Amino acid sequence: MILHVINRRPAPLLIMLLIGAIALAASNLATHLPVDLWWQAISAPQDEQLDQLLVHYSWLPRMTMAWLCGATLALTGCVLQQALRNPLAEPATLGIASGAQLALSMATLWAPWLLVNGREWLALAGGGVALLLVFALAWRKAFSPLALILGGILVSLYFGAVNAGLMILHGQELGPLFIWGAGSLVQQDWQQVQFLLPRLLPALGILLLIRPLTLLGLEDSGARALGLSLNRSRLIALLLALWLSGCVVASVGMIGFIGLTAPSLCSMLGARRLRDRLLWSPLLGALLLWLTDLLVQRLEGFDGGFLPTGAATALVGAPLLIWLVQGLRLRGEAPRSSDNSTLPRHSSRTLLLGLALLLAATVLVALAFGAGPHGWTWSQGAMLDELLAWRAPRVLAAIGCGALLALAGCLIQRLTGNPLASPELLGISSGAAMGMLLALILLPAASNGALIGASTLGAVITFAALLALSRRDNFSPTQLLLVGIAVGALFDALLQILLANGDSRAQQMLNWMAGSTYRANEQTSWLLGVTLMLFGGLCLMLHRWLDILPLGEAATRGFGVSLRGSRLALLGLSALMTACATVVIGPLSFIGLLAPHLTRMLGLVRARAQLAGAILLGALVMVAADWLGRNVLYPYQMPAGLLAALIAGPYLMMQLWRR
Amino acid sequence: MFELQSVSFSVPGRTLLHPLDLKIPHGRMVGLIGHNGSGKSTLIKLLARQQLPASGQISLDDKPLSTWQNREFARHVAYLPQQLPPADNLTVRELVGFGRYPWHGALGRFGDQDRQQVQRALELTHTLDFAERLVDHLSGGERQRVWLAMLLAQNSRYLLLDEPTSALDIAHQVEVLALVKDLSAQLGLGVLVVLHDVNMAARYCDHLIALHQGRLLAQGSPAELMCSETLEDIYGIAMGVLPHPQGGSPISFVY
Repeated sequence: MILHVINRRPAPLLIMLLIGAIALAASNLATHLPVDLWWQAISAPQDEQLDQLLVHYSWLPRMTMAWLCGATLALTGCVLQQALRNPLAEPATLGIASGAQLALSMATLWAPWLLVNGREWLALAGGGVALLLVFALAWRKAFSPLALILGGILVSLYFGAVNAGLMILHGQELGPLFIWGAGSLVQQDWQQVQFLLPRLLPALGILLLIRPLTLLGLEDSGARALGLSLNRSRLIALLLALWLSGCVVASVGMIGFIGLTAPSLCSMLGARRLRDRLLWSPLLGALLLWLTDLLVQRLEGFDGGFLPTGAATALVGAPLLIWLVQGLRLRGEAPRSSDNSTLPRHSSRTLLLGLALLLAATVLVALAFGAGPHGWTWSQGAMLDELLAWRAPRVLAAIGCGALLALAGCLIQRLTGNPLASPELLGISSGAAMGMLLALILLPAASNGALIGASTLGAVITFAALLALSRRDNFSPTQLLLVGIAVGALFDALLQILLANGDSRAQQMLNWMAGSTYRANEQTSWLLGVTLMLFGGLCLMLHRWLDILPLGEAATRGFGVSLRGSRLALLGLSALMTACATVVIGPLSFIGLLAPHLTRMLGLVRARAQLAGAILLGALVMVAADWLGRNVLYPYQMPAGLLAALIAGPYLMMQLWRR
Repeated sequence: MFELQSVSFSVPGRTLLHPLDLKIPHGRMVGLIGHNGSGKSTLIKLLARQQLPASGQISLDDKPLSTWQNREFARHVAYLPQQLPPADNLTVRELVGFGRYPWHGALGRFGDQDRQQVQRALELTHTLDFAERLVDHLSGGERQRVWLAMLLAQNSRYLLLDEPTSALDIAHQVEVLALVKDLSAQLGLGVLVVLHDVNMAARYCDHLIALHQGRLLAQGSPAELMCSETLEDIYGIAMGVLPHPQGGSPISFVY
């Protein structure tokens, strides 16, 4: 009877996918076991037959897990999207997955006993904290979809940074968590299925929520007029989603994009009503994850390969996301830089002079003052000379990277007319990192120059793709951010694969990603210095374009500025600067977002003053972060980029919250 | 003088402007009128080089538009878009100063002459009083005048204005249009202005060009166009015309 009231349009695609998956599964299985033994292996494997045991205790539970996780994630995505009226909500975009992961990392280190009997509660708590944080960030914007997603990105990046910090300090203990973090579906027995299945039972509660959720799709006022207690139904739905995704994360780790793609594909296929989507998305999600997993198995066998399925879904899902969001518009105003509050406007000269003095003082401290074997010391004379050989390149590298990233951030913000754009959030840093990673993999003996070239190429391609994809929507922040998420996810997936395989280059990559100036030598630091002079000078020369471009295309053209020419020049320049800095300091530091923002807040509004201020501030923050990283945990060292991110994150969240 | 030779424009699936021959004189205030979607905005964007024509040729002073250098063109023609972009955290004087870009370019110095031109533009548009205030804090009418000042600082011979009064109340419409008319006469500027309100157009323009569904319907002095038959053709609704009680241009109304 239910079939009469359900829209059946997605059925053909699902049946096609199902047939494909069954065929693939059968052919996979056939390489391991003759067909006539299948039933025996599935129902009652013979103890001495290894093949049969493998099928029974690895192949079958893995398939079941794929179904369970895929369906649950898709359902969770569907519920979240409806409850928050946000087509992009899913455990990963809202930061739930990263929160859960961080909670599990922390428990592994400091409270391992918690892991034995209550992983899911830990994951739930971590995810819940992340979600609450995201909600707090979106609170003032009345949970507008854009604000939610933005908060989600920021929280995810931040928790990711904290996690990376833990990983650097405690690589040994957390190693196994890596494989898990990438969403591996490999199974050794039925334990995980037995763990997950009963915990998914609350999902049935959604049946009771269909009506209230349907009404939640309306505007709040409309739903309230229909006599619905909005907040209670929303809360219940959110808690349910949190629980379900927490359970999945606790058992297999992060598997992104299923919760996003399955529901959107369903609505694209014509499952318009919530009821239809709630039915079709889990089916589609299960099929999608199963298919992905089968392809992964095809590549490496089902009994212990090291291509984590979660990483594979990101590889497939990220491009799909870019395709899906074409033309998608989120309700919610675009963030504007002024927000009708008058920024203080000080004399830029005094301010810049003050910043320069501050930078000089910081550099002095960074060079001469530090924790040593005999406590905190000011070094002088011969001892300083000796230390300078070690410290000077690092300080210089920090100045160079900080300033370059800050400049790139200024350029990108003005180019897109979007105060929240930055190399980090738009995935340009990830693009650069991806270029470098690919170069490391494909060219074993790549020189520094080749690495810079590869990462520049990565940054340029990413940025060009961003511009091309979002031009139609006038560089709307939504489009830019989404493409940024997708590129970031792609990079993460590649890195996860490398890490999970225990590749020796992985640790190198990880250290580099965290942004250490540790390996900076005289050569790189001078190179950076020259680059900074050159590009900084170029940026300052082009300050007029930077003033005019935010006024929009028509006005820019009206002044006789060639749009193509100026955009291309600035695009190339910002990509190059991002790449140069990324090669040294890694993709995550938030400096490209923080420095331009801080300079604005200080009242340096015109392009030239902002650029100069950003150079000084970027360098200042980075030198300070580098110094802190060297000294706070002495004799351990924390990388500068990571520390900068840890400092900048809360500030940026505060800003977002106050908007 | 702008000269159009069978200029057309289309987007996939729709022709917005059918081949059009037209001359737009210098030193007069020309109004562009027509119904929504008649191609007014398209025409003015083509003249401003904001868009390229699908076919035909536009020339300015007997020189095809495509052969003009970007900045050289901007020194002759200034364009005001229909929607004013937000000017985040810029003061009026700073924004008006941007109008000097075509003269000093990306690298040139912002010299005394530029400063004088900005001052003159501020004086001409009566915006000197709030020159140091933030553009985004001004009222709609004030902001419109500031953008006009920016166009004047550009010191061009032509002003192309795309619905400069669309967001203004009647008093501010009068204020802005009177200002534009004054400037046109005082400085000998050629002004082409897209206007929705035919009465306003008739009152302030020397010459009217009427478009209808992407074709030229009529052109002439306001007195020539302000008759019920022509207006009915333009807007597709029965209209009448009354003489102004105190002389001046006639007034149209809808039956």
